[in-house]
Amino acid sequence: MPELVSVEAVTRQFPLDHNFVSALLSVNLRVVSGEFLAIAGPSGSGKSTLLNLIGCIDQPTSGRILIDGVDTSTLSPSRLTALRRLKIGFVFQTFNLIPVFTAAENVEFPLLVQGVSAADRRTRVTAALESVGLSSRANHRPDLLSGGERQRVAVARAIVHRPALVLADEPTANLDTQNATQLIDLMHDLNRRLGLTFIFSTHDARLLEHTDRIVRLTDGQVVSDSLTEKGTAAEALRHPAEFTQAPKESLSHGQVLTASL
Amino acid sequence: MGKFLLLAFRNVFRNRRRTLMTLIMVGGGVTGLLLVGGFFARMFWGLRESTINDGLGHIQIFTAEHFNREEKHVLDTGIDNWRNVAASVSTGGHVRGIAPRIEFNGMLSNGVKSSVFMGSAVDPVAEQSLGFTPHLDAGRDLDTKPGGEIEALIGAGVARSMSVKPGDGLTLLAVTSDGALNGIDVQVVGIVNTGFKEMDDRYLRIALPSAQRLLQSDRVTNLVVGLDNTDNTDLVAAQMVPELNGLPQQLVLKKWIDLATYYKQVRSLFSTIFVFLGIIVFFMVLMSSVNTLLMAMFERTREIGTMLAMGTPRAWIMALFVIEAALLGLLGAIVGVVGGNLLGVLINHAGIHLPAPPGTTVPMTFRVMHVPSLMVGSSILVIVSLALASILPAIRASRLQIAEALTHV
Repeated sequence: MPELVSVEAVTRQFPLDHNFVSALLSVNLRVVSGEFLAIAGPSGSGKSTLLNLIGCIDQPTSGRILIDGVDTSTLSPSRLTALRRLKIGFVFQTFNLIPVFTAAENVEFPLLVQGVSAADRRTRVTAALESVGLSSRANHRPDLLSGGERQRVAVARAIVHRPALVLADEPTANLDTQNATQLIDLMHDLNRRLGLTFIFSTHDARLLEHTDRIVRLTDGQVVSDSLTEKGTAAEALRHPAEFTQAPKESLSHGQVLTASL
Repeated sequence: MGKFLLLAFRNVFRNRRRTLMTLIMVGGGVTGLLLVGGFFARMFWGLRESTINDGLGHIQIFTAEHFNREEKHVLDTGIDNWRNVAASVSTGGHVRGIAPRIEFNGMLSNGVKSSVFMGSAVDPVAEQSLGFTPHLDAGRDLDTKPGGEIEALIGAGVARSMSVKPGDGLTLLAVTSDGALNGIDVQVVGIVNTGFKEMDDRYLRIALPSAQRLLQSDRVTNLVVGLDNTDNTDLVAAQMVPELNGLPQQLVLKKWIDLATYYKQVRSLFSTIFVFLGIIVFFMVLMSSVNTLLMAMFERTREIGTMLAMGTPRAWIMALFVIEAALLGLLGAIVGVVGGNLLGVLINHAGIHLPAPPGTTVPMTFRVMHVPSLMVGSSILVIVSLALASILPAIRASRLQIAEALTHV
């Protein structure tokens, strides 16, 4: 499968008083199209920073990130904006829906920004809301939706323009366990049905069993990168001829998981 | 674009209390401008019409040399055959009538005391038909069918200084067109109050034939044209020029605005005051709105970050804030226009009296005119003020660091 995301020796430092603190230290990661990947780690481990960098809403201090083969460090701000608009969908921990828009209008927004025709927008919004099971809530504003519903609207908004990559930063942090599990399963289902690539961060260990691949971060470094049972099965179906046996655990940090892909 | 405008419109009503306060402020500014501007407009209109109806007329016709004449020989440069001239220019549909005049100076005496006067000789019939009736404090106007005594109207100041009243006699002295001194006896029939003290101290009016006898000439100094509507002045003046050019004597016309010096001074003064007031409102709206719009921007930092993350061009974010502010301005303008007009109606209905303006003796009523151009102008002013006020918040919003904005609490 083609490589969608390539994180190469990326370091991100932030100024703090008169010093710098490293949120990420020489991180390497490769993600191919169609993966369903979780970035796990405790708070402050660099999960959000890594997602921000992959999502082109932040710049690495050193190293580079390639999206679909394009080195994002060489792109102008307007090209980066266009890249995000066309290729990336975002799901946020706090849903971040536009409160004055209805669910349908929120889902419609990325298409609006892309200049999609009104008729096409209607069709795609309907399909997106259907895919997250919220057709009946299309005309409700966010304040009339439950937390789980709001996040499903956010997922619909992230996938409505069929981006190559969906980034979800702690999408279940504000949900109860049942809603959190349902959301991850929904995203996984969309990943399988639509072939969308999902990268999401979480510190909830219970959700990790629902993913294909887990990258663990600690103190800004990748400490493990492994496929789960689900991931193994998925990869076996995807590459039956090449597939041998995926490593279960503990690839050393910085090592790139490509052996079985 | 429609959805984008919808977003802007809904955002305006997001924080209703703040929007209400802004609308009250902007609407109050527009209302203030409409009331002051409407009062000034009504004052200009009243002054214009009173200036015209007090005898200035809409158009006056003179000989080309009139404005270079020597004061003592007023009729040397007068209009010959004025009846022919009047007939040739009174054919237009908007001309109500033409009144001949002789403007002249001289001295008057009661046998004990003498004083200078600024006289005006008129055709009482023509003057009355045009509504040019003097404001009398005592007595009556000149008789339209003269016979017997030569009648005269004098200003209140003249009457006071000469100690005369209606029924008393005066002697007028003036220089004839030949340069000789001539005199006639007149009987005062009325005391006029022009509203201006300086005028009242010199005012004299007699009938045209009497003045022609005094000045020994058949000429008149000018013809005063009255129209059906002041707004037709330019139209009629344009039609009259070719007519005048076809006459043997070289004649020129002056529109009322060319002759109404006092009106122009008043208008210029009050227009400057109004512009100053407009600038104050402009900055008041601008400065108070910047703070409000900045608060709105900070409250929506995370939302803006989300929109930017989704690939919304930064220019769109800027445009969103500017459109929101302009919409707020538009709504404020509507509130202000409605409020201003309602208040104007109430004020006009209340009939509030004001003291006499400086230099005049007649009190005025506080009346407000509803001027559409003023409503449009004031609305544009506040819309532009708010749009300008939004530029700083709009720039800040569009320049937000996305990652930071997304973590804003």
